[in-house]
Amino acid sequence: MRCAIVGSGLAAFATYATLRHGGLPAEEIVVFGTHEDPTEVWRTRAAAIRQQRMRSESDGHLAPAAFPGLAVREAARRVSPAPLLRSVTNRYHPSVDDFLAHADSLRSRTGWERSFRLQRVERIRAVDGGFTLDGEGPFAHVLIATGHPGLARPDAFPGAVHAYEPHDYASKVAIVGAGMAAATEWLNALAAGAEVVSIRRREPLRRPLNVPRPFFSKRGLAAFHSAPTERRAATLRELSTPSYPAGAAWDEPVRAAERDGRFRVEASPNGSEQVIAATGFRHGFRHDPLLADLVDAHELPTHDRWLVLDPDSTVATLTDETRTLSVAGIAGQWAFPAADTIAGAKYAAHAFRRRACRTR
Amino acid sequence: MSYTLIGRIQTRVVSVLPALLVALALQRWWAIELVALMLGIGLVLDVAVYHRVFTYQPAWLALPLGVLELGLVYGGMRWLHLMAPLRWALGLYAIGWVAAQLFGHAIFPRLRLEYAEDGGELGRRGALGAVAVATIVAGGLGAAYAVRPPTVHLHGTIQGPLVIRHAQTLVGGTVKGGILIRADHVTLRNVTVVGGEDGIDVLDSHHVMLDNVRIVGVSLDGIHVRRSSVMIEDCKITSPNGPWVQGIDISFSMDKEMSMVEGCTIVGVREGIVTHMTMVDVMHNHIGATSLRGITMGEMSMGAISHNDVLGAHGVGIICLDHSECEIEHNTIVGTRTDPTGDSSRAGVAIEAHFFAKAKVKHNTVIASPGGVQAFDGSTVTR
Repeated sequence: MRCAIVGSGLAAFATYATLRHGGLPAEEIVVFGTHEDPTEVWRTRAAAIRQQRMRSESDGHLAPAAFPGLAVREAARRVSPAPLLRSVTNRYHPSVDDFLAHADSLRSRTGWERSFRLQRVERIRAVDGGFTLDGEGPFAHVLIATGHPGLARPDAFPGAVHAYEPHDYASKVAIVGAGMAAATEWLNALAAGAEVVSIRRREPLRRPLNVPRPFFSKRGLAAFHSAPTERRAATLRELSTPSYPAGAAWDEPVRAAERDGRFRVEASPNGSEQVIAATGFRHGFRHDPLLADLVDAHELPTHDRWLVLDPDSTVATLTDETRTLSVAGIAGQWAFPAADTIAGAKYAAHAFRRRACRTR
Repeated sequence: MSYTLIGRIQTRVVSVLPALLVALALQRWWAIELVALMLGIGLVLDVAVYHRVFTYQPAWLALPLGVLELGLVYGGMRWLHLMAPLRWALGLYAIGWVAAQLFGHAIFPRLRLEYAEDGGELGRRGALGAVAVATIVAGGLGAAYAVRPPTVHLHGTIQGPLVIRHAQTLVGGTVKGGILIRADHVTLRNVTVVGGEDGIDVLDSHHVMLDNVRIVGVSLDGIHVRRSSVMIEDCKITSPNGPWVQGIDISFSMDKEMSMVEGCTIVGVREGIVTHMTMVDVMHNHIGATSLRGITMGEMSMGAISHNDVLGAHGVGIICLDHSECEIEHNTIVGTRTDPTGDSSRAGVAIEAHFFAKAKVKHNTVIASPGGVQAFDGSTVTR
């Protein structure tokens, strides 16, 4: 085995598909994970907030090549140019069902099951010629994609249900947060007939994607990568501000509810029967036991809550001509600010493929 | 997409490849020059404007930017006197634009996984490809420049007739007694011809361009073209020396490349523009006070007669004659006068199809022409 992927979520699967596209046989890759279905965790969370559409656009799928995107596929399936027209005007957001169906189809084509091993890795160690995973190996190239290190629950509301956990809506609901999940929950609760109290620390930021578009390409990344450490961290903090897209689909139901007195912003739940914490995930590698152990064992460079990575998402001190340690997903933000998006997963996957296939 | 400057340039250069291949297949210098012009204007815009203005470029912008670039390319063609047939030039531009969309949205993202995140950069192979394409364009342009005909500037008045037997560009000056062209790839620009039987004779010659020529006082034809292909733009033919003078006569060229007459002003002759057995487009001309007909497309000719003004013609304004097939559109015919001979086919007819000719007639303006639009002798007029 030359390559190991630690984790079995979307980022892991995007990396796996990319390696297979690069010509690596399934027998040379092992995926260590806790879920055989790479979409299971994400699917559960999306279902919890009743998400219908992706925030990403046509190229927000897990296949290695951006083309054909989901808009092209939908246009071909429906024999309609409408998805393409919406895509060129940045108004196309694939449905969650389409995204998942495409992921399932890709999974069956790539041979994921042949490489998957049901095992939670607890320790990664650098050794001559690669890395051992819980003593197994060595693997020359390892990519860590362990995902978000747990849900963030506000201390002020210990009884709150998290938005990403299955739940229904009471008749009066307080929703904590101001990001995409919170905005989705406002609409869900209103649609369910509930009265909504929005609890937020700041006014929501309206942005089509998680981060401004230039940060998805070298154009914005070049300045980010060359910035001094603290400025880079400051940029990441700023980009972490919760946001959701602009548009009437988001605003109209809220405005209508405000007019009817069913939606208001308050500092406390104010008698709400239910509190929903749409507060996202815990931040920082310290919350991930595997990464925390790896950092401590090899004294890896860090800054604040971030693992310091090279622009190609690798850990510089443990990567050379013969071996690669890459980080994908939210823990890879030091290389790619939108690391917890599909584009971020692919960014790390592309760099990992270049290294894994070059030294094959 | 958020392009880097290098990404824009590499994407632009490699995407021009299909248009370049078509240009090479056409084996015409103008096609290679046009591709070079498209590429040059695009690169200047990339560096000077697009990179600075668009940190992110949504896909829909390709349409307005494509229109902008088309306008600039057309202006550049006119400014550089690029002898490109308009329809072919538009076709080549369309190929370039569509190819750029296909490359940018489908082919590059398919072939190079990092295309978007690298801001349109194509990697080592792409860079080599861009250099190769740029080299071919530059080589073609250099070759076109190297074999271009010499330019001869005339000053003052030359006693003619002047006979041209080699490819060349003749600029300026006045020629007395006419010019005879017997060579391919001849351009006359800003030349005035005074007197003689025919002002400019073009015989058995291809790719002849007559640009802004003035012809005064001839006794037969202003411009007389036989078995040749010509582009005539912005000419002026006036003050005929006798009652039998025709403005422009293009004949017996059916097996040659299509000819074009555009933007000419012809006044006081017997027939303004007349064609026989020729494929020709006659557009945006101003014909006045003709004594026989304004525009005649005759003897199995084929082509369009569009956007012309025909004023004060005697007898007939525009005629599609003798088995010809004509598209007569968007013309203005005013004050066509009735011939006193009593011939109904010359009774102030604005547009006429005669003797088994087929005329498609649309969107013409006919004023004070008592004969209106008519068909005679087995001809058809369809609207």
